[in-house]
Amino acid sequence: MSKVKGSRILLRHRDIPKLDKLDVYLEDGGFESFKKAVTKMKPDKVTEIVKDSGLRGRGGAGFPTGVKWSFIDANNWPHYVVANADESEPGTFKDREIMEQNPYQFFEGVMLSAYAIQANDAYIYLRGEFWDLAHELDKKIKKLEKSGYLGKKLFGTDYSLNLYTHLGAGAYICGEETALLESMEGKLGQPRLRPPFPPSFGLFGKPTVVNNVETLANVPLIIEKGAKWYRKFGTERSPGTKVFSLSGNVNKPGNYELPLASTFRELIFKHGGGIPDGHAIKAIMAAGASSSLIVANDEALDTPMDYESVQNVGGMLGSASVIVIDETVDISWLVNKTVHFFKHESCGKCTPCREGVFWMSHLTERIDNGSGSREDIVLLQDVANNIQGKCLCALGDFSTQAVVTGIERFPEDFKAKVSPNQAARIKINE
Amino acid sequence: MLRPGALMRGMWTTFKSMFEKPVTVMYPQVKRPVSKRFKGRHELKRYDNGLEKCIGCALCAAACPADAIFVEASENTDEQRYSPGERYASTYEINFLRCIYCGFCEDACPTEAIVLGDNYELSYTNRSEAIYTREMLLVPVHPSAAPTPQKVAPGTFDRPIPEMEDPD
Amino acid sequence: MSELVKNEAAQNMVTLTIDDHTMSVPEGTLVVDAARSIGLDIPVFCYHPKMEPVGMCRMCLVEIGTPMRDRTTSEPILEDDGSPKIQFFPNLMTGCTFRASEGMVVRGYTEKVTAARKEVLEFLLTSHPLDCPTCDKGGECPLQNLTMQFGDGESRFIYDEKMHSAKHVALGDLIFLDRERCIQCARCTRFQDEIVDDQVIGFSNRGRALEIVTFSDPGFDSYWSGNTTDICPVGALTTADFRFGARPWEMNASASICNHCAVGCNLTFNTRREVKSGGEKIIKRVMPRQNEAVNEIWICDKGRFAYHFTASDQRLNQPLIRKDGKLVPSSWELALDLVTSRFKNAGENLVTLAGGRLSNEDLFNLAELSAHLGGDALLYSDMAGGDLVSRLGVGEGTNFSDMGPETAILVVACNLEEEAPLWWLRIKQAAERGAKVIVANPRKTKLDRSAIHNLRYEYGQEAGLVTALLSAISPKQPKSPAFVNKLAKDKEVKAAAKALSEAENTVILFGSEGTSYAASAALAQACANLLIASGHIGRPNNGLIGVWDKGNAQGAWDMGLRPSEDLDAALKTSQAVYISAADPAGDSKQYASALKKADFVVVQELYMTATAELADVVLPAQAFTEREGTYTSGERRVQRFYPAVPSLPDLLPDFGITAEIAGRLGLELEKTAPASVMLQIAEVVPDYAELTYQKLAKVEKQFPLIGREDVYYGGTSYQNSQGLGVQLKPAAQNGDSPVLVITELPEVKLSGEELLAVPVTRLLDLGNTVTPSEVLVTRLAKPHVALHPQDAEKLGVEWGSKVKLILNGSTQTVLVEFDNSMPHGVVLVPRSLGIPIISPTPATIKVL
Repeated sequence: MSKVKGSRILLRHRDIPKLDKLDVYLEDGGFESFKKAVTKMKPDKVTEIVKDSGLRGRGGAGFPTGVKWSFIDANNWPHYVVANADESEPGTFKDREIMEQNPYQFFEGVMLSAYAIQANDAYIYLRGEFWDLAHELDKKIKKLEKSGYLGKKLFGTDYSLNLYTHLGAGAYICGEETALLESMEGKLGQPRLRPPFPPSFGLFGKPTVVNNVETLANVPLIIEKGAKWYRKFGTERSPGTKVFSLSGNVNKPGNYELPLASTFRELIFKHGGGIPDGHAIKAIMAAGASSSLIVANDEALDTPMDYESVQNVGGMLGSASVIVIDETVDISWLVNKTVHFFKHESCGKCTPCREGVFWMSHLTERIDNGSGSREDIVLLQDVANNIQGKCLCALGDFSTQAVVTGIERFPEDFKAKVSPNQAARIKINE
Repeated sequence: MLRPGALMRGMWTTFKSMFEKPVTVMYPQVKRPVSKRFKGRHELKRYDNGLEKCIGCALCAAACPADAIFVEASENTDEQRYSPGERYASTYEINFLRCIYCGFCEDACPTEAIVLGDNYELSYTNRSEAIYTREMLLVPVHPSAAPTPQKVAPGTFDRPIPEMEDPD
Repeated sequence: MSELVKNEAAQNMVTLTIDDHTMSVPEGTLVVDAARSIGLDIPVFCYHPKMEPVGMCRMCLVEIGTPMRDRTTSEPILEDDGSPKIQFFPNLMTGCTFRASEGMVVRGYTEKVTAARKEVLEFLLTSHPLDCPTCDKGGECPLQNLTMQFGDGESRFIYDEKMHSAKHVALGDLIFLDRERCIQCARCTRFQDEIVDDQVIGFSNRGRALEIVTFSDPGFDSYWSGNTTDICPVGALTTADFRFGARPWEMNASASICNHCAVGCNLTFNTRREVKSGGEKIIKRVMPRQNEAVNEIWICDKGRFAYHFTASDQRLNQPLIRKDGKLVPSSWELALDLVTSRFKNAGENLVTLAGGRLSNEDLFNLAELSAHLGGDALLYSDMAGGDLVSRLGVGEGTNFSDMGPETAILVVACNLEEEAPLWWLRIKQAAERGAKVIVANPRKTKLDRSAIHNLRYEYGQEAGLVTALLSAISPKQPKSPAFVNKLAKDKEVKAAAKALSEAENTVILFGSEGTSYAASAALAQACANLLIASGHIGRPNNGLIGVWDKGNAQGAWDMGLRPSEDLDAALKTSQAVYISAADPAGDSKQYASALKKADFVVVQELYMTATAELADVVLPAQAFTEREGTYTSGERRVQRFYPAVPSLPDLLPDFGITAEIAGRLGLELEKTAPASVMLQIAEVVPDYAELTYQKLAKVEKQFPLIGREDVYYGGTSYQNSQGLGVQLKPAAQNGDSPVLVITELPEVKLSGEELLAVPVTRLLDLGNTVTPSEVLVTRLAKPHVALHPQDAEKLGVEWGSKVKLILNGSTQTVLVEFDNSMPHGVVLVPRSLGIPIISPTPATIKVL
């Protein structure tokens, strides 16, 4: 039986040394779930258990995983599983730790999901910068093939499964599942129009399940210990544990696996060791660069971090990449940084994102370097609002989150940077 | 009915005017200055560096209610540059028998190239003389500037439409 | 007919409301198309009715609502007044990707929607250079028009912060890209991928730096590149030909028909007065004109760019008479009198030889004159079977756009994209709709990609292959040569025969890949036999199509002209030869020497061709762009063309010159009004009975709606208001029941070291009407031959090297290209490249 200490389901390697070695993982009961599923369970049953567990996608959207699997089109074959390991969100570094330290549990999750939808090929799409990690994973996949966990006619059944890694070329947008699929097909990484969604029209036009690394890493233990066990962690609507990537102005940044609905205060102050140099906390970005700026007051700090509650304080849990911002940080600087990131990463497919983010970057740059005017702040807000709700994929909206909430919740930081009249702008015009 | 008083008053006016300064001038020896907004014969303007302002867009021809303007455009090269942008008017003709001096062409011009000038002394002995070509309409090059076409260094002019001094 | 209407029978109709207009459309129709079908505007940039939607530009955002349903009972929820309660999506939705469903309500002009349009336009303009005054698209630009309609008058973006990109990028020799103007709508790249399957351009980079690049060498290597400039919603893609040529509003539009191949694409000539033409009108550009049954809204680059011949200074402009061995200018009177007297003397020994680019009216008068004297009226062509096409041609109402899974299409001995590009496109699209395309050709062609069966045979066996298909369908055929029996046993041939015979509709297109006149005759008859045996005649979407080498070859057959089986002998033995629009001396030295032997040669031409050089009298004719007339396409659609530019002074149309000669010989023919000639044709030629110019000028509503006002939707292709033409009924549709005619199958034998030189067709050849187009020069094929790489290796010939080709006793230096899909022992010689070849001939290649 797999050992679980406290609430560490995914980061078990911290409790079990050398879990990244196949023999250690096997000793711990590894691949028992997969073997059990392939030899004794019907594919639907696997989906059923995952559905019952209430596991929600850890990539950001929080869509129920089992439900996604059940959407797969049974009249169109073959099926594919793609693990989204394009971990590109600034402030997110959880998948990397899982794949580096606890890779077999992740593999087993991929394999279980492949079995659940009867896919014979599963892919792991890694961001281009993870080339060394991909190399390691390839070696481990080879080992699994040799040990009979991958390949043809597994465990004497008719079920065959191959696992491949695929490196991206370094684009944030390829973390969006349809852009990822385009990239895997060898095309320009741009999101597809949805619907149709990947479960009906995915990789090479075939039904495909795309899941985040962390999501899949949950699956082996859910299958082993059951949905009920999994539901002991977290809340009714957000069950399970979550790896929170903590970064920014904290004493102990890093990954922390906590049950969902732990509070920000617990994460930042109990586990993260508080703010350095005794500064006061000012704001929180709960989902990396694409999140809104949450004013870090007591109400916010005591908010449980689950998919629903974070929305109450004007944020999103997303991939749970908590960036802590203390009072020394100028929000207009932060917003400028964020917008520049999105300008660099916009794929250019749809107009509002391609042109709007480019425009916003001019405005935030001007405001940040002190040559902006009050009019520019109003314009920036307007441009951001005009982008919202008009884009092809979510990236466009993401790019505006920090801008809109920054200006709305921290207006002083912006006003302080600009000259009170419009003279500055005219000066630029000349 | 004859009224001697009225007659006398009229005669007095005539007599008085004999001593007034005449309103007419001895044209053509003497020419009266035209008003600031006078609309006379057109001129095609140049920039200070001698390049032509006209980009051959033919918006003047489109605006012309009398269909008096005809424009053909060609492409500038750095070897042979007439105007700062990508294109220039290789043919520019105004038929002054048709022109009604309304100034719409001036309004339509995006580069302030065509301007109605002060010259009102237009006379022709045959119809084809009334057609003024590009060479006739272009203002002379300032002595300090080079005539067109100019040879310029590549990349000097990379704007599609040259920047304007006073866009408003 | 329209795709919208066409689908009505097959699909469920749904009722939706767009801005208070309620309409009924097939389920699944896109909201923008539904709006457009009744003339409502939902502006778009990236969407194009001929392509799959992508929803990129976000211009078509509208409010969309659907009837609310009770979650448990799924009963519609009603408002207090009994009308269904509509639930609108919280966000604006893209009308170009949303499909109509029952009860849908679309709001296209609410405050929210107009604000969104304004905002999207503002975004687009932030990176746009705003150089409308110098932009070739200015005046017919969707971005300009929609900005005027929906945009803001003021810019909030600082001009100095605009991104600057390359403005004058030559994507290829024909197309320029302005990267600043590009709005990244991907219409051009999708056109190249989805519609014409030439993936030679695409996006590079990302975000604001996303830009169009070409992957091919030479750049933008496609026969279809010009169409991207029509559908580009801004001035990013413009043609090299029209660069700064004129402002769109300054030009007049004249309807015409392309005569470069047998498709008969509908064109519009844009004309304008120019200084260089002495103030006369000249053609500035060629645009496609919508005819959904012929060319839809596309044309190939040959049709678009090879029009400069009209304005060429090489045009003949006065009659010439040979005096003391030299051709000297003469008056029309003198020249015509001379011609008349010699023709009178020749009597039935007059040979009339006409080219397939003449109009029906010209050909009719020529045939009448020839008949009056009792001479032979010959069509200058290496292809046979026009008589079969008039009997078994495709039925009235045939339209490639209607063909789907129930149709089989056999294309035999034809490199279709080279011989008739638009038919390639339309058959490719039919294949995408499920039509079963079978390609039979000795080597690979682009249509192979769309085919379910690719049949290979040796050059010379084309008729044999079709006969093999026939014997696979009906085994009781007379004894065939061994190679036919062998082909008939081939698995692919059997499968293809099954597909052909089982299909509800079958169309056969035969081309001229490697065929002589005799081979072409055997091939056409074999194709006819196959259609008769399988019963695929006399109905729409069934029958035979000749992929003729000239635009009006079918018209020439219909007017009674026939190719000669032995032109050489016919020329030699004549007393007088009357050649119009043909250059036999230029094509073959044999013909040239035959002409030298002829007593008296009259050449009626546009240029001083090699044949004209040999003439005793040269009569200059008007180009088809200078006059009116009709052409008959390979699908036997008679279409009208109209004068676009004034004629050169003192020139007459071909039918007029013929009528002048005829008049002097005592035969009254119509000399001024082509419409009157058509009335005579209608009297004499049964298939053309009741045809009038009025009928040919009729139009009906086509979908997608194309027009000058809504360039944003379909592009700048012209609306057809001058006539869709009339498709003739073949005899088989009029009750004629043809029988199989079994002909002997020709076979070519080779000896020893020789290669078999076979004539093939290249689209961009060096034809008389093509070479005057300067812009095309670099794209035209150079005099070359193609070899199999292994044959080349044996000969020690490298790719691109020069070799000596010895053919018919004459030697020529040509370039060598390789084609690894062609058979061994063969050298492909493209026609009209100055290498004389009219039929498969033994040849030798020597390394230089």
